[in-house]
Amino acid sequence: MRSWYRRAPLAGAAVAALGAGAALTAAGSASAQGEQEVSEVSVVHGIPGQPVDVYVDGDAVLEGFAPGEIAGPLELPAGAYDIAVTEPGGDPDTGAILNIAGAEVPGDANLSLVAHLDEDGQPTLAPFVNEPAALAAGEAKLTVRHTAAAPAVDVRAGGEPAFTDLTNPNENTATVAAGTLEADVVLAGTDTVALGPAVLDLAEGTSTIVYAVGSADEQTLELVVQTIEGMHSPPEGVPSGTGGLAATGVASWWYGLATLSVLMLVGGALWSRSAAEQASQ
Amino acid sequence: MRGVHGRHAHGGARAGRGRVTALVAVTGLLLLIVSGVAIARGQVVTEVGGAEVARLSSPPPAGSPPPAGSPPPAGSPPQSPVPVADGRTLPSDQTRPPATLRIPAIGLSAQVDPVGVDADSGEFDVPPSIDRVGWYRYGPGLEASAGSVVIAGHVDSAAQGRGAFFRLPELSPGDRIELSDAGGGVHGFEVVGRTVYDKSEIPLERYFARDGAPRLTLITCGGEFDAQVGSYRDNVVVTAIPAS
Repeated sequence: MRSWYRRAPLAGAAVAALGAGAALTAAGSASAQGEQEVSEVSVVHGIPGQPVDVYVDGDAVLEGFAPGEIAGPLELPAGAYDIAVTEPGGDPDTGAILNIAGAEVPGDANLSLVAHLDEDGQPTLAPFVNEPAALAAGEAKLTVRHTAAAPAVDVRAGGEPAFTDLTNPNENTATVAAGTLEADVVLAGTDTVALGPAVLDLAEGTSTIVYAVGSADEQTLELVVQTIEGMHSPPEGVPSGTGGLAATGVASWWYGLATLSVLMLVGGALWSRSAAEQASQ
Repeated sequence: MRGVHGRHAHGGARAGRGRVTALVAVTGLLLLIVSGVAIARGQVVTEVGGAEVARLSSPPPAGSPPPAGSPPPAGSPPQSPVPVADGRTLPSDQTRPPATLRIPAIGLSAQVDPVGVDADSGEFDVPPSIDRVGWYRYGPGLEASAGSVVIAGHVDSAAQGRGAFFRLPELSPGDRIELSDAGGGVHGFEVVGRTVYDKSEIPLERYFARDGAPRLTLITCGGEFDAQVGSYRDNVVVTAIPAS
């Protein structure tokens, strides 16, 4: 009885619930946030070899959705949704491969709903929470999600371990300088490359989410990449002159000098005239 | 005797005082001229086209039709079609950098360097060579169908003198700006506004926006100069829109 956006403590429960076709109903704080708040929900297909249709509350939102594809974001008002995944043309009520009944979508969240294999190779449907918070100018965010039927892995960036001992269905994330990064995935604690290397373009102000999907046994491991834009911030400022040649306005002491000069001119003239008058008497 | 002598002495003192006071007056006049010229030369850069600049970066007004993909009312089914992308195609940088900037009205032709932010200060990394200008490579480039293409350049430098953007404040609405890409293709723009901000108040989000109307933003320094710090108080911003 929890909202699915609090994913970390939920992962096990979600998998169990989906396997049994049971309801993943939610209550409490999420629905209290109000009916009008909208969440963005992307759908990620990480199950090899099986195109599907995706239904939300009985309506087909995706047809012929192919492995490796990412759909959305769907904009869903906060509320409970029945989500079903079928073979193409299948019946969402009776022929679902995967489903979640009464999945609670909170307001104002960014979620990725991922159809993938669990560590044992069984299809599952799991939500991940994306946190598109603002990044400083020049930064990018990298997240890696282990959603493959494979053991624990390390993710290396430029040959150096970046994330270690990552297991299905967990994730790791880091904020890095924007730019390209050569990354690969190795079996945890080894140099045995399971995936990659791949050159990732981590665009500034963008979240790049890399899913490891497929099955190690079936040799269908691959990377699926989702990006979320719009997290950029402007630079701190634009310093573009150090010479003073183009100065407009003048330092305030110039105005003081001008005032003083007027006093000297007027005072001097008056004083001088009075002196002259006295001298002529 | 004493009286005569005294009158003589008194008269000499009066004459001397007259010379001193005249000198004071003349010095005052000279100082007035000098300070007046200094103040007159420091005339402020004027602003023009502020409303147009604000409009370019503003969201559509309330009451306009909602954009495609906006949320349906609560409880209604989601709308098809949903955009679908192939996640196996790794993203690559599609930005097209400008290579040269030409502004005939102020006799400017400058090379454009792609730049980011200074790692220490987080500020725009304006090229150190003052005859070059910097294009903000994190924002939109010549491919842009939305947002602000930003180019900043030095107005001057203490070591190198006048910079590429020394005459930027002279630009007025209607003046033409040309950006060329690496292949020589020319993208024309037309100035619509010129604004001046205290650096502590410039709305950088607006000028570095990646949404809103496609536009070109040129930034340099201006206003009062603090010689102690070697820094100007203001930013001068020129905004232009695409023109054939």
